[in-house]
Amino acid sequence: MSPAAKKIRIGMYNVGFGDAFLVRIPGKKGESKILFDCGSIKQGDGGPIDAVVESIIEDVKDADGKPRIDVVVATHRHRDHVSGFANEAWSDVEVQEVWMPWTEDPADPEARRIREAQSRLALTLHEELTRLGAAADVIDLAANALTNDAAMQTLHSGFGGQAVRRFLPPRDRRKSTFTAACLPGVLIHAMGPSFDENVIANMDPPEGKSYLQLAAAGAADRKDPRPPFPGDWTYDGTPAGGLSTEEKAIVDGVGDGNESVVAAALDGAVNGTSLVMMLQTGRNFLLFPGDAQWGTWNMILGDSEWTALLKKTTFLKVGHHGSHNATPRPFVDDFLPGPPNDLWAMVSTIQRGSWPIPKKELMAALATHTKRIVRSDQIPGALQGVFKPRASLYVETEIPA
Amino acid sequence: MKRIQSRYVLASPARRPLKIFASDPMQGRAAGNLTTIAVGNEKLTPGPAGSRIEVVDYDGSVSGGRYYQPVDLDDPAILMQGGLEPTESDPRFHQQMVYAVGMKVLENFERALGRSIYFLGGRRLRLLPHAFRGANAFYDRRLLGVLFGYFRADQANPGRNLPGQNVFTCLSHDIIAHEVTHALVDRLRSNFLEFSNPDVAAFHEGFADIVAIFQHFTFPDILHDYIRATRTDLRSPTPLVQLAQQFGYATGRGRALRSAVDLDTGGALRARARGDEDQPAAEPLYQSVMEPHERGSILVAAVFDGFFSVYQRRIADLLRIATGGTGMLPAGDLHPDLITRVAGEASRTAQSILTMCIRAFEYLPPVDVTFGDYLRALVTADYELNPSDDVGQRACMIEAFRSRGVYPDGVWSLAEESLLWENAPPEVPRFPVALLGDLSSVAPGAFSQASPPRESRPAERTTPQATPDLSDLTDDVLRPYAESNAELLGLQKGRPIDVQGFHSVFRVGQDGRLVIEIVTQFVQLEKSEKAAMGGLPLRGGSTVIAGADGTVRYVISKPLSRERLEKQREWIDLVDSTDPAMTYLPEDRRGERMVATGFAAIHRSIVR
Repeated sequence: MSPAAKKIRIGMYNVGFGDAFLVRIPGKKGESKILFDCGSIKQGDGGPIDAVVESIIEDVKDADGKPRIDVVVATHRHRDHVSGFANEAWSDVEVQEVWMPWTEDPADPEARRIREAQSRLALTLHEELTRLGAAADVIDLAANALTNDAAMQTLHSGFGGQAVRRFLPPRDRRKSTFTAACLPGVLIHAMGPSFDENVIANMDPPEGKSYLQLAAAGAADRKDPRPPFPGDWTYDGTPAGGLSTEEKAIVDGVGDGNESVVAAALDGAVNGTSLVMMLQTGRNFLLFPGDAQWGTWNMILGDSEWTALLKKTTFLKVGHHGSHNATPRPFVDDFLPGPPNDLWAMVSTIQRGSWPIPKKELMAALATHTKRIVRSDQIPGALQGVFKPRASLYVETEIPA
Repeated sequence: MKRIQSRYVLASPARRPLKIFASDPMQGRAAGNLTTIAVGNEKLTPGPAGSRIEVVDYDGSVSGGRYYQPVDLDDPAILMQGGLEPTESDPRFHQQMVYAVGMKVLENFERALGRSIYFLGGRRLRLLPHAFRGANAFYDRRLLGVLFGYFRADQANPGRNLPGQNVFTCLSHDIIAHEVTHALVDRLRSNFLEFSNPDVAAFHEGFADIVAIFQHFTFPDILHDYIRATRTDLRSPTPLVQLAQQFGYATGRGRALRSAVDLDTGGALRARARGDEDQPAAEPLYQSVMEPHERGSILVAAVFDGFFSVYQRRIADLLRIATGGTGMLPAGDLHPDLITRVAGEASRTAQSILTMCIRAFEYLPPVDVTFGDYLRALVTADYELNPSDDVGQRACMIEAFRSRGVYPDGVWSLAEESLLWENAPPEVPRFPVALLGDLSSVAPGAFSQASPPRESRPAERTTPQATPDLSDLTDDVLRPYAESNAELLGLQKGRPIDVQGFHSVFRVGQDGRLVIEIVTQFVQLEKSEKAAMGGLPLRGGSTVIAGADGTVRYVISKPLSRERLEKQREWIDLVDSTDPAMTYLPEDRRGERMVATGFAAIHRSIVR
């Protein structure tokens, strides 16, 4: 087959609310296989994510029947991106390299500080929300940020073979574009998360710090609920100038509902660690922005080298299941190619509770850029001839290399 | 008449002395921290409850709520000792302190504005010293109240506090002053709780910090101590220029909550070290910092910088006299007389800057304020009162703003005459209410301390309670005047006009002249894009300032325009994209996200 007839294959597994993408790039010595994330927000024990893992491992088997992946990319540590790696079956899969954001580097003190701050907040928040009997979708949000120990262990020290770990991007901005021996013919652009102090500040949100303090004080108060002054200073009844029932309700409600704000802030903070990566091969520019949000995007959109590349995007994994904050409007309006260029886009998503995900306006805006867009929750209706649905678990597209 | 029946004998004392912590309990009994301030004497009922401020000690943190015993400051036993002794363990002292500091802030506003301030509908500002458990304090417009929280100090890193001790935000002078200022700013410009550009919320926060910091300088004892300790360099990090020390330490920050100088801003200081202080920092914080409290700190740093320059000019001669003409202070302690004189200058300068800052309010547009507008208002207000600017107060302030990259829109240069608001064009007809002929109808509050002035109510407020004669004035005179001169007044013709404030101001200038002004705010509303902008309408409006004879002198306008709409929309888009909560906010609540009644969104607090 001539190289021109070869195709890049990108498969999106239907994991519910989560991500799992398998990219296959044709080369002289066969295909390179890259797995971006494997997780679902729901607990994985025996549930659908294990079926996905099984299916992926089956799909990456070489002719000798041995499953091999060249690069596993874990964009960030959210459960909905890594939970599948808790599965023991990965130990049979031969992996050459594992790429993670720099915030996962065990040797980097700043990364450690960020991870610790995030997990401490996730743990406290999850406990508090459970104690308060909060709504399920808010608890899910906190649970999503809990350390997924088993999964992270696989990523850091598991898999078959002698997998090399890389933490990206490198601190030196000039080394953010590089090649890797395991991916011949591919130029890798690691665009984010940058080391800019504003980006780092977003990874440890102040809402979290003050919340932790509040929670600790709340626990102390529950242990010792006495009034704040020694002795009894209580006034029996209502003094002149007392509050009405409605006014009392306002005072009594101070601080209520704070948890969901903090949960969202924590979620944003973990998303802020997302590895944003573009793979350049032949005439294709495949963009995988993880779940990056404003801080990281803002840095990328302010970097002329990156924006020049964004304008060439041929494939877009839509960030964070199509949420509001993960695909900035300036990116779509000013940089994302539209017709008549060939853009493919995939959204791994599902409507959950009251969450406005995927965001309608964003889906509408993307639709003006390309018709070749597919959602994991609408696989049976996927555009015939462009996307190939395989049962309900998988949809694949083939992009001319 | 017997002498014993004369006013001289019968009049009650003008001032009431009350004891407070000058900063907060963490400074302990250090010299100067236990101080006495005097506030206007008025009849108080237990609470204390006066004519404009009342303390309601309701604690909502226990189920069903509870009240604490209110203090009776008119009780002879308490009067005799000039108020209760400062202590953390007696809630009655807490009540006394919030009342005293709250009144002090109110008086600073009244002094600067040259008029009494009453809350709408004759309501009283309520202070709730122990409203909830939590490390924060809020102004709540619905209650017309300030809610102070109390919390346990950080276990691991409590600073000079006992780990886990109860810390009361209501015992911090700075927190009280900050929150009460929010209430007063809301009283003077109710539209400033609509955050229609990045400066509006920051202005609220920064201004509240400015009042809190400059009020430190009115406490002679601590001022004296710190001038001695810092050898007149008031920029040194002392409690004088730091806000809410105990709060900062008790919440594990390991430092005060905020400072008038630390944000100053690495950039400006580095530039000074490089010797090119004429260059603003490469990327001024004003361009990048959007969080309201941090952005507000830029305003604080600018004003404090202006203060410090004026102060240095004012004490330069004293230093030369004290040092035989060199101006170089010798090593060792300063002469106590010198300290006293320098403290006097510091205190006078601080009061003068604080007055200037508050007075600028009369010259602010009624909506959508920016730091640049505030600079122009500062310059104009001060120019009207002191045209000559002998000590260079205005020049220092302009320089301080410039070096932080705060440039007003639509000015040709940063020269003083260019920063003054433009005079109203001569074709604007005479204002329909002239003070000289019609004194009593527009200025009842100026002559009587007892009767609240009658003012019109801002639109979209609940429980309208307009007094008949003033609503007549509004409906029959002011609104028709604005309608028929809409374009000249920077308003849109044919669109309803709301009169949102109308009062007279009497002030004595530096040269002894009486300056009389009539200030009116007209506001218009464009609601069509309200839902798309998260519930924020586009507001336009003008502050119209007329002289005593009715000549319109200034029209300070933010007209309704497509350009302003675009700007507001861009700003809201930025807020949306940076706010992680937007990711999960259900569709049906998006239309009100900018005006959510939740505490996080609209209530102005000491921390976010």
